[in-house]
Amino acid sequence: MNDREIIVEDLVKTYPGKVKVTAVDGVNFQVDAGKIFGFLGPNGAGKSTTIKILTTLALPTSGRGMVGGFDVVSQATDVRRVAGVALQDIGIDPLMKSMELLVLQGRLFGASKPAATVRAQELLELVGLSDATDRRVGTYSGGMRRRLDLAMALVHQPKVLFLDEPTTGLDPVSRRDVWREVRRLNREMGITIFLTTQYLEEADELADMIAIIVDGKIAVEGSPAKLKAAMGEESINLVFENPEIAEKGRASLERMGDRIQLDRDTVRLYLSKAAGSIPIVINQLQQVGLSPISLTLTQPTLDDVFLQVTGQRLVASEADKSKSSRSTPRAEVN
Amino acid sequence: MDANTTTTTISVAQPEKNKALSLPVHIFLLAYRSLTTIMRTPEALLPPLAISIFFLVIYQSTLGKAASFIPGIGGSYLGFILPLSIVSGSLAGSGIAAQNLVRDIERGYFDKLLLTPVRRAALLLAPIMAGAVILGIQSTIVVLVGLLLGLQPATGILGLLVVIGLGVLLGLGFAGFTVSAALGSGSAAATQGASFLFFPLTFLAPTFVPLALLSGWLAVAAKLNPITYVLEAMRALLNTGWDAQAIGISILACLILAVAMYVLAAFALTVRTRRT
Repeated sequence: MNDREIIVEDLVKTYPGKVKVTAVDGVNFQVDAGKIFGFLGPNGAGKSTTIKILTTLALPTSGRGMVGGFDVVSQATDVRRVAGVALQDIGIDPLMKSMELLVLQGRLFGASKPAATVRAQELLELVGLSDATDRRVGTYSGGMRRRLDLAMALVHQPKVLFLDEPTTGLDPVSRRDVWREVRRLNREMGITIFLTTQYLEEADELADMIAIIVDGKIAVEGSPAKLKAAMGEESINLVFENPEIAEKGRASLERMGDRIQLDRDTVRLYLSKAAGSIPIVINQLQQVGLSPISLTLTQPTLDDVFLQVTGQRLVASEADKSKSSRSTPRAEVN
Repeated sequence: MDANTTTTTISVAQPEKNKALSLPVHIFLLAYRSLTTIMRTPEALLPPLAISIFFLVIYQSTLGKAASFIPGIGGSYLGFILPLSIVSGSLAGSGIAAQNLVRDIERGYFDKLLLTPVRRAALLLAPIMAGAVILGIQSTIVVLVGLLLGLQPATGILGLLVVIGLGVLLGLGFAGFTVSAALGSGSAAATQGASFLFFPLTFLAPTFVPLALLSGWLAVAAKLNPITYVLEAMRALLNTGWDAQAIGISILACLILAVAMYVLAAFALTVRTRRT
């Protein structure tokens, strides 16, 4: 038995063209069997490219990838047998019914018709779509499609499951459903899961291990707890009327904490005993004639980790979401 | 097959790994699936058929009496013009399977198939087989309409079956071309455009009058056009009787076209599925 289900060594992917684009730039990581690995990063950071290489849809420019003990370049067929994949663009035909899609998928993996049918029924039950088997997939909601896509990825009982942004574009309720499913697949069936996401919350919720990728490079890696602990600090967050006033606030508090950050109208002051320092902070601000609109105290979160390693906030804005969900699938691959 | 029932909802039944299950089964599975979705979009299916029948009726009504003063018709004008209807139907209909394929590419279902152990050749041959079925049905309907209009085939039912068969065979070559366009471009608009490329070919042939009446460059073009030979053979079957040589040449012409188009399609498939 492999204790490392995914091994990635010095992975590089460059797209040639007028301007050479390096989507993945020397990435290394390993995923232990039975774990959930969260691959976190903003749009265009190299998440999808990495997943395409690991699932045999794209070739690396250099470096090596192993999935389930097989090389993703030279043993692609074996990789396809052990890996289940749900890509960001849900590849299902809206004219087909879920049962038909699952049975076809099973038969292409070599199951007989009766076996594929039984399997399809089990999977539809598993993802809670038993009531909708006779409807065309085109009539499904976004959440239902995701769950069907998940079921399709599981048809051949993969050891490793790749999920590329499984909840992007979903409403909060559907998102929770997918999370529950993912956790269950991992805990009850022992499937190793590689998951990319732009949501810190999602990675925090699901992953045993997290790597944050920025501009094709892994910026930081570790368990969520460890990453948060590495931050090690509480912070006082002060919101001011506008960024100009916030900047004045930042200037006046600069020497107080271990570190201070300004993000638009918010000042974050990191210090070890945040609660006890509130009176001094307020006092200091009053001396320069400033008063914050709100003051909150936070424990370190992955958001802070992200902010620290990248210097930017990880917000999946609406515009980003729609961009990532549909329009540029091919351009990214070719 | 082991059906370990564990506490989970899923039985741990491994799909039986049968490596012999291969090309023919995969072609069947995918062609069946293509036909399923084609049947669910009748709006794509009906126009080619409607156009074929429309022209058949128009030509027959316009030129039906011309048989007497055009030499070489050799029977009824209906028997002379019905093959044109079948051929133009084959042209239009051959695009349907490719449209289906390009939709899969655009929707990402094609990528999903690439992640299964599906035989790569099946991705190419399945839509063509589905196309053949569609063309067979379509040609049969055109022939039935011909019979309703009073067609009296010189070679009987068997001859009609050969006419339909030739229509399908010719369509398979066209389908190879439109499927190449679908694989090569991955775009619905380009695939649609490619379907029209063959359209002028129908007129670089003895379309409305026998081959002997064509002159100059058109006579040369017609002799190089596989459609000419298919039309000639079909016309013989409907109007004059069995002509083994005409049938043989038309089959050969269809096969040459088909082989050339499949080489192209296989190349397009290789490019499309090449991992970059």
